Amino acid sequence: MRKVFTSALVAALFSLAADRASAQTARTSDGKPNLQGVWQVLNTAAWDVQDHSARLGIPAGQGVVVGNEIPYKPEALAKKRQNFQNRATADPETKGYLPGVPRIMYMPFPFQIFQTPESVLMVFEYDRGVRTIYTNGTPHPRGPLNWWMGDSRGRWEGDTLVVDVVYFTDETWLDRAGNFHSDALHLVERYTLADLDHMNYEVTLEDANVFTSPWTMRMVLYRRKEPNVRVLEYDPGRLMDEAEAARH
Amino acid sequence: MLMRNSGLVLALAIAAGASLAAQDGKPKTVGGCPAEPAAFHACALDKAKTFTPPRSRSGKPDLQGYWRGQLAQSFSVEGVSGSEPLVGSSVMPWQISPAMIVDPPDRKIPYQAWAIPIGRIGVNYHQYVDPRTACGSGGVPRLALQDASQILQPDGDQFLVWLHEDHHVQRVIAMNGRPPLGTDIKVTNGDSRGRWDGNTLVIDSANFNGYNWFDDSGNFYTDTVHIVERLTMIDRDTIHYEVRVEDPKVYTRPWTLVWALVREKEPGFELLEEACREGQRDLDTLLQSGMKYYFEKPWQGR
Repeated sequence: MRKVFTSALVAALFSLAADRASAQTARTSDGKPNLQGVWQVLNTAAWDVQDHSARLGIPAGQGVVVGNEIPYKPEALAKKRQNFQNRATADPETKGYLPGVPRIMYMPFPFQIFQTPESVLMVFEYDRGVRTIYTNGTPHPRGPLNWWMGDSRGRWEGDTLVVDVVYFTDETWLDRAGNFHSDALHLVERYTLADLDHMNYEVTLEDANVFTSPWTMRMVLYRRKEPNVRVLEYDPGRLMDEAEAARH
Repeated sequence: MLMRNSGLVLALAIAAGASLAAQDGKPKTVGGCPAEPAAFHACALDKAKTFTPPRSRSGKPDLQGYWRGQLAQSFSVEGVSGSEPLVGSSVMPWQISPAMIVDPPDRKIPYQAWAIPIGRIGVNYHQYVDPRTACGSGGVPRLALQDASQILQPDGDQFLVWLHEDHHVQRVIAMNGRPPLGTDIKVTNGDSRGRWDGNTLVIDSANFNGYNWFDDSGNFYTDTVHIVERLTMIDRDTIHYEVRVEDPKVYTRPWTLVWALVREKEPGFELLEEACREGQRDLDTLLQSGMKYYFEKPWQGR
């Protein structure tokens, strides 16, 4: 009992220390870790999830892939290299399409998390993307389905949100360097608050068509703390069409 | 005209949900009120006085759930009369429908003179690709009559989220009194700030980029529009949805639209992913036929 009281007190102190304006608390009213707020990565995974040197306009970066190597099957590695050569036109991002998951998680744009007892909702500035992660115990719907953002079902393992994602297309990539997957992609994501303003994000990718074994990416999501922060709008398709219209 | 129709076929395919609702769901009453927007409006406002809505866990009126537009159609907010030639279209016949406008009394958009030939099956309709067909957002308030939507009231009551299946559009409505967005930032669905007025959710939106239409007819607003939506439950499964539109650039006075949002009660119902651009096939054909993107909007420079 005393221990419960102490941890509640600690949680209350943490929440006092948090930005009062955002009314951020450590727990939601149903006792789950409160992931709500505006988040964004501070890494270079959008360009290349692996270690890479700087290129013109592209910052060098240490990869987010655990061990740095992606276990491609030989023919898939050849495809990845081809994708890299043709990336200026072959990358689905250049067409203004939904970037898929996990790619949207590390695009250099903010996203906002909302929670209800039934779901964890993610609203992305990039391409007005939206992910509903159902946490109400419902299973994936009956397939086969091909969705750009997949189907996400989550559960709480202690204070970690564990999300199972399936039903992808083979038309999304993992980064601007040509890393890719097939429609057999299966993700297991883990979201764990390190403290109120940092969240550890880990995603394991399994895709027997492309990889010889599952592999994992790890990165930190940072809470955007600006008092006026908000998710705005970057609709790449509309902006491309607008540029096209202006050329005529 | 054929080219135009091919675009409409695409739009029809996208709007399958809305069409079903329009054809299957033509009840005599909605929420115990007459199924004609003006009559519904008067009756619903009266019913709302005595109905106590369910409460969320934090004690606010609970609007959460899945909703579909009723008493609404996407052809024209001014209604469709029997003399409209498109009613006889062999490709996609429009349905004779009452106006969704409840004010002004003539139930027409109070356009300034210059804007009349642009809206109302005019320049917009004949020369521009419907922004929704080009995979843009349906826009506010058209979103609320296309396909299903979901209202969420996330923990803490700082925000309310209105998700629309139509082109995966999401609206984040700030309930925390945050200041308005700077006027130089324009967004497709506006900057939306909400508050509770008794049991009514009031959403005040500005900062629109003016890239959207009200309907298939090309009725329009501009980037100076100010939209106030009022959502009031009149029974557990019916919301009276009222939209007041003000835009001094294009109308002579504010005006008001009304329709109903009816709860989607199919067991296990969830919103599906509706990618649009990713499967777009007809836009090039429309553009090659001489139709233009609406970004070159005919009100530019006004």
